[in-house]
Amino acid sequence: MPVAHRAPKPESPPRARPAAPSSPWRHRLDRTVSPYAYVAPFFLLFAAFGVFPLIYTAWVSLHDWNLLSSANPFVGLDNYGRLFSDGYFWNAAFNTLSIGVLSAVPQLALALVLAHLLNRPLRAQTLFRITLLLPNVTSVVAVVVIFSQLFGRDFGLVNALLDLVGIDRVYWQADVASSHVAIAIMIMWRWTGYNALIYLAAMQAVPREIYEAATIDGASAARQLWSVTIPMIRPTVIFTVIVTTIGSMQIIAEPLLFGAQVSNGAATTGGTDRQFQTLALYLYEKGFRSFEFGYASAAAWVMFLLVVVVVGFNYLLVRRMRGGLDV
Amino acid sequence: MRSRPKHPLAYLTLLAVAFFSAFPVYWSVIVASHDNAAMAEMPPPLLPGGNFLANVSRVFDTAPFALALVNSFVVAGTITVSVTFFSTLAGFAFAKLRFRGRGALLLLTVVTMMVPTQLGIIPLYMLMIKLEWTGKLYAVIVPALVNAFGVFFMTQYLGRALPTELLEAGRIDGCGTWRLFRHIVVPAARPAAAVLGMLTFMTAWNDYFWPLVVLTPDDPTVQVALSQLASGYVRDFTLGLTGTAVATLPLVLVFVLLGKQIIGGIMQGAVKG
Amino acid sequence: MGIPRTGRRIPRPLAPMLAAALFALTACGGGSSPATGGSAAPAEKIKLTVGLFGDFGFKPLYEEFRKTHPNIEIEERQAAYADHHTNLAAHLATGAGAADVEGIEVGFVSQFTAQPDRFQDLRQYGLDKRQGDYLDWKWQQGVAPNGAVVGLGTDIGGLAMCYRTDLFKKAGLPTGRDEVSALWPTWDGYIETGKKFSAASPAGTKFFDSPGEIMRAIIAQAPVGVYDAQDKVVVATNPDVKRAWDLSVRMIQEGLSAKIGAWTPEWNTGFAKGSFATIICPAWMTAYIQDQAKNAAGKWDIATVPGGAGNAGGTHLTVPKQSKHPKEAAELVDFLTSADSQAAVFKAIGNFPSIPALYDQPDIRDFTKDFFNGAPVGKIYSDAAKNLKPQHLGPKEGDVRTAIGNGLGRVEQGKQAPEQAWAQVLKDVENVG
Repeated sequence: MPVAHRAPKPESPPRARPAAPSSPWRHRLDRTVSPYAYVAPFFLLFAAFGVFPLIYTAWVSLHDWNLLSSANPFVGLDNYGRLFSDGYFWNAAFNTLSIGVLSAVPQLALALVLAHLLNRPLRAQTLFRITLLLPNVTSVVAVVVIFSQLFGRDFGLVNALLDLVGIDRVYWQADVASSHVAIAIMIMWRWTGYNALIYLAAMQAVPREIYEAATIDGASAARQLWSVTIPMIRPTVIFTVIVTTIGSMQIIAEPLLFGAQVSNGAATTGGTDRQFQTLALYLYEKGFRSFEFGYASAAAWVMFLLVVVVVGFNYLLVRRMRGGLDV
Repeated sequence: MRSRPKHPLAYLTLLAVAFFSAFPVYWSVIVASHDNAAMAEMPPPLLPGGNFLANVSRVFDTAPFALALVNSFVVAGTITVSVTFFSTLAGFAFAKLRFRGRGALLLLTVVTMMVPTQLGIIPLYMLMIKLEWTGKLYAVIVPALVNAFGVFFMTQYLGRALPTELLEAGRIDGCGTWRLFRHIVVPAARPAAAVLGMLTFMTAWNDYFWPLVVLTPDDPTVQVALSQLASGYVRDFTLGLTGTAVATLPLVLVFVLLGKQIIGGIMQGAVKG
Repeated sequence: MGIPRTGRRIPRPLAPMLAAALFALTACGGGSSPATGGSAAPAEKIKLTVGLFGDFGFKPLYEEFRKTHPNIEIEERQAAYADHHTNLAAHLATGAGAADVEGIEVGFVSQFTAQPDRFQDLRQYGLDKRQGDYLDWKWQQGVAPNGAVVGLGTDIGGLAMCYRTDLFKKAGLPTGRDEVSALWPTWDGYIETGKKFSAASPAGTKFFDSPGEIMRAIIAQAPVGVYDAQDKVVVATNPDVKRAWDLSVRMIQEGLSAKIGAWTPEWNTGFAKGSFATIICPAWMTAYIQDQAKNAAGKWDIATVPGGAGNAGGTHLTVPKQSKHPKEAAELVDFLTSADSQAAVFKAIGNFPSIPALYDQPDIRDFTKDFFNGAPVGKIYSDAAKNLKPQHLGPKEGDVRTAIGNGLGRVEQGKQAPEQAWAQVLKDVENVG
């Protein structure tokens, strides 16, 4: 860390209190045990409420487990075998990745720019920041209504604008590309502000002096963002990349709502030809529409592995960018 | 140095973004103040109509909304305090303390976020039956008291924002780890804690599907009460959006009222110093 | 992860499904029903819950019921259509969480009657005496394969065709309901009328909303639908299904469809804007149109449906096994489905009775609706109901119909040629069955 941080001064500096003449034994105990005690709450809670579900779904995935019948015979790895030759599952995997890339990359880039803009003395700071969160505060009901107004084929605003400039109307739900773009926009709308706020918190810990030095050196705002801000908040960038990747891999609300604009049936199948069915939506269709819980659990486990791979890949990708590493 | 020239472009961009972010919320209030038919008008109405109070009272007639609001404040408030505290604590340990298994444990924390969420709820409900927590607010609060998102977030933030030298100085003065946490870490964590608190409160407030599963319509959170507004053959968007407005306006209000404090917290952590 | 924090991307509509899912699994854990605190002491006060998907117009009836049962308090829970049924399935499977009286729509009813163990057999409470009241096929739909009476019918959805007189007039077509009915004794006649309409219709107006519901209606008119009596999927072999498909495809090719799916937001807008001139109109649809197209009062009218009688929709009321007050719940079911109650509901919101004795009763038969130009809805739907023939519905009716509907959607969206789309439908249906 090149610059001395202006971390706030402790209100009562540790110095004020005479150094506790704690025995070296107590001291060692503190150093060894405290870290575990501090991380323990999360792991205890996870052990209590997270581990059992994992084991349980693994167990279910080995059965032909159906909601309405009471007999659920053990079938070993059959569900997994079926899954690997299930074209609709892999179609969903492709859609998930495509929508994920289309939404996550611009989302994070825009969030960075927004945070950068907000990270300076501006009027109405508070108002802007709260406004950024509004899309996330809004309920899903509102999102459906709003986006059907935007992406409607006949009366949608976007098509009206296209009409105005002489471009053909788009049937957003019909094709792979147009549907993926529309869904990506919905996702961006909801989550960009959220990420911007996270970036903003990190940016405010970057010492002002660095910017001041950069300004004296004549670096433009864009330059400062790229060569000062981003390197300084790298850990948070890594955080958002990982969290957003995970979120993207689990997208379900947007395609479901988008499909509901075609028909009830096309909602769970993610379009008439499954052109925008994501993995999570497929899991939902199998598990909660057809009640094939065993199969859905197997799909969930394979999906989990896919998420791990994709997140790992993205992590390596950001880690390579702009050197240095905190995680 | 602080006083910079005006940033017309920055304002313009922010205004545009603010417009796109806020308009839908504004618009749901608009719809909530009209009747159902107005929804389908072209162009749609842009100004509030006179039905808002009538619609709001319909919402309160359909579901126990007052109780739901209180419940939601209890749930979201408790979760927010707890998540912020425990995440800061764990984030500090992961970011700045050396201990065996640190890397592996952090990795495990991150990996827990990757499990598909849908199916985990099922066995979780089974646990709640065993604990006899179904229908009670604990069932919503306790599993959410600390989460991987918060821990990871704080770890990443504190790794950079918390000067190691300061901690070492504290150690030399004979501070125990707990005192380091209280006097050095907590103040340094404030900007991030403020944001984490806001996001956590919002998420807890909007959390729908677990509460719906485990609570009952007679002792609901706001989102569970909202589900009662859904109907079958006739889709009453006005009622739905009025419910949404009733459910989100308190949240916006909290942000606006506390906004100065929260944002102030963000600024304090960073700017003063 | 079980931690709700991560549930932030789960949309609202999913929740009940998930709820459903977990109830299902817990069922197998044995009889550990959730001991919600304060379980009612064995006092005379009883609370009955009623789970429905939307407003059935029951609220005034509850008051009526309480006059004879002052100790019973009734709480109604509503959820959206799909959520309600999935949730119910889950609650039944786990033996916990269901209401004392649960409504089941005809699209799901065969799935549930296949599991009579999960329900009270209403014969225990003497409700088999009601059999004589009902249209026979409606009664049979509520009966399990083993003969248990699982549910009693509320309404039926006999088909009619609603149309916009103002748009017909502009297109130079007759507007009187008898003349309009005479235009389309068959679906071919309907298509011909549609072609004439399209030739002279105002811009932005199509003949009907979308072929999906029409195809459903045509299938519903056949003696056998997508399942045969042995619960075997017969989509590939039943010529009536293919005929429905071919007719629907022709309608698309003739450009008659506004391509607006039922129950979508654009559909609501379409009603208000007059984007389509006709729509398949089961009795319960009249309430929906009235609500969505308030500004169109007097512009809509109702004619007979092409191709003969058919049914779309309708509901049964059941009492889950897990109900703590099955006797009282059964009494409530009996009351809510009685002739008087059904007549009251029809007059209030338009759901049409399933008790034929009512069809000749003057206050039903002569009932008209001003919104629909004073159409004699009582007579129209009575006639439709009398001519109805039963059709057997199979256990995965919904999944099969979704597959066919998606195929038609692909044709409509121009993604596939009809033959190609049909081939994929057959493949998908095979996987469902």
